[in-house]
Amino acid sequence: MIQIQGISKEYGKKQIALDSLTQTLDNGIVSIIGKNGAGKTTLLRILSTQLKATSGDALIDGLSINQDTREIRERIVSIPQEAAPIGILTAYEQVFLYLTGKGFSFHSAKEDSRRALKSVGLGDKMNVPTDELSGGMKRKMFVAMALGSNAETVFLDEPTTGLDPLSRMETWSAIKELTGNVILTTHYMEEATELSEKIYMMDSGKFIGSGTADQLLQDLQDKVRVESRNFMSGSYHVGNMYIKYVSRNSIKDYDDVYYSLKKITIEDLFIIRGVDLES
Amino acid sequence: MNLKFILAMAWYYGVKTVVRGPSYLIASLATPLTLLFLVFVLSHGALVKFAIVGGLIAFVGSVGLSGAGDSAFFRLQLRIQDLYVPSKVSPFDYMAAFTMSYLVFSIPGIVLYIYLGTVYHLFTVYDSLMMVLIMFLLIISTTSISFIISGSIKHLRNIWGITGILTIITSILPPTFYPYTYVPKFFLYIIALSPTTPAAVIAQGAFGLSPNFNIMIYILIVETTIYAILARILVRWRED
Repeated sequence: MIQIQGISKEYGKKQIALDSLTQTLDNGIVSIIGKNGAGKTTLLRILSTQLKATSGDALIDGLSINQDTREIRERIVSIPQEAAPIGILTAYEQVFLYLTGKGFSFHSAKEDSRRALKSVGLGDKMNVPTDELSGGMKRKMFVAMALGSNAETVFLDEPTTGLDPLSRMETWSAIKELTGNVILTTHYMEEATELSEKIYMMDSGKFIGSGTADQLLQDLQDKVRVESRNFMSGSYHVGNMYIKYVSRNSIKDYDDVYYSLKKITIEDLFIIRGVDLES
Repeated sequence: MNLKFILAMAWYYGVKTVVRGPSYLIASLATPLTLLFLVFVLSHGALVKFAIVGGLIAFVGSVGLSGAGDSAFFRLQLRIQDLYVPSKVSPFDYMAAFTMSYLVFSIPGIVLYIYLGTVYHLFTVYDSLMMVLIMFLLIISTTSISFIISGSIKHLRNIWGITGILTIITSILPPTFYPYTYVPKFFLYIIALSPTTPAAVIAQGAFGLSPNFNIMIYILIVETTIYAILARILVRWRED
């Protein structure tokens, strides 16, 4: 369990990346979702001891990120956003190297690297230089590092950004193999719902909501999304589109303007929170 | 100290890189060997011993300095450094792992120069041991400079240019390929900021090519220590 206690991060005096965050993150696989610039990566880097907070603290299984840095570093794994392998080395070599970095003996690193790579489906590619692997395979190699290290807590920062749908699904299946607590950030809503029970929403350096996907969408229950290129009163203006949330019963009122109807997803919470309402 | 990590890195990033990408090694040797050839031709062989000793120093120095590009690329592009911050790898381990891998990577080049030195009856066993010590200090100091540079930059776009300029300044400007006695003493002290200068001066003295100038031994030790401390401070391990 992670208890975030009033964490703030400021760059200079004007840019506030995180604004006095206080939140408890549940055990299991949880997702932190938010737009670009919401503060997800900053929070993950602070929690995984890569970045110092301007103020505040967090406890990971009772250990303070400020006071017990060394102990925390031994127990966690953090896969940075857009982490990429050293192309000239094989997946096995890089997982092996990582596990020696986590303090494994050469023998254990050898055994656990192979086991982890097989678990994520890279058994037949483990001895190929990683610059010859696909994007999805490269990401799975990093998941294998987390898997092989048996970490109690794993931080995954946007693990599938930039991947094609098939590679993304491959990476998801590898993430599901992880046994410890997993905190992943994403701006793919389907990724959050696919992988995690609990979802935490961030915007402008703050948590703005949490719950299961169904709980978060409770306010939009029985509504549909009407998208139109024409102006609608009380709609949200996104790109060249006007979006409005209406009850199913009143869809017929939009027959003359509507462009398309969509089912509500978590994405809609961001539209509602992130876009000014057009009156 | 995480010796297992350092040794694994030296094996994979030192040995395997030579095996899978020999062009890196050939590229590192290209400039010093070309200069050796030029010195041989232009001096009709008279200064070839200087070029062998200096070529070895320039080669090892350039391998260490090329680490600036590597470490910046690993930190900013591959995010490998971030991967190792939450682990049992300390900043010292991380830098030592790079240093060792560069030292291992340099071995084929060092062997080539030792062969050339043997052909020209330049190296004795005692002098060679002195040379090994100099190479060790040189790879530590130049790799430390690499980490100072890579830790000081925020964007990758300039790193390759900076590394290229620095490699030329540190391998050709100092008295690596010519007698250090050609350089005015006050200027020698200025260019001694580059670790290749004291390394070349010590080596020229040790191999009887120029008079001994023992103060350079202390300069090399002191500046290696200073560069290593600065690198530790600037490596951006846990960022503010």
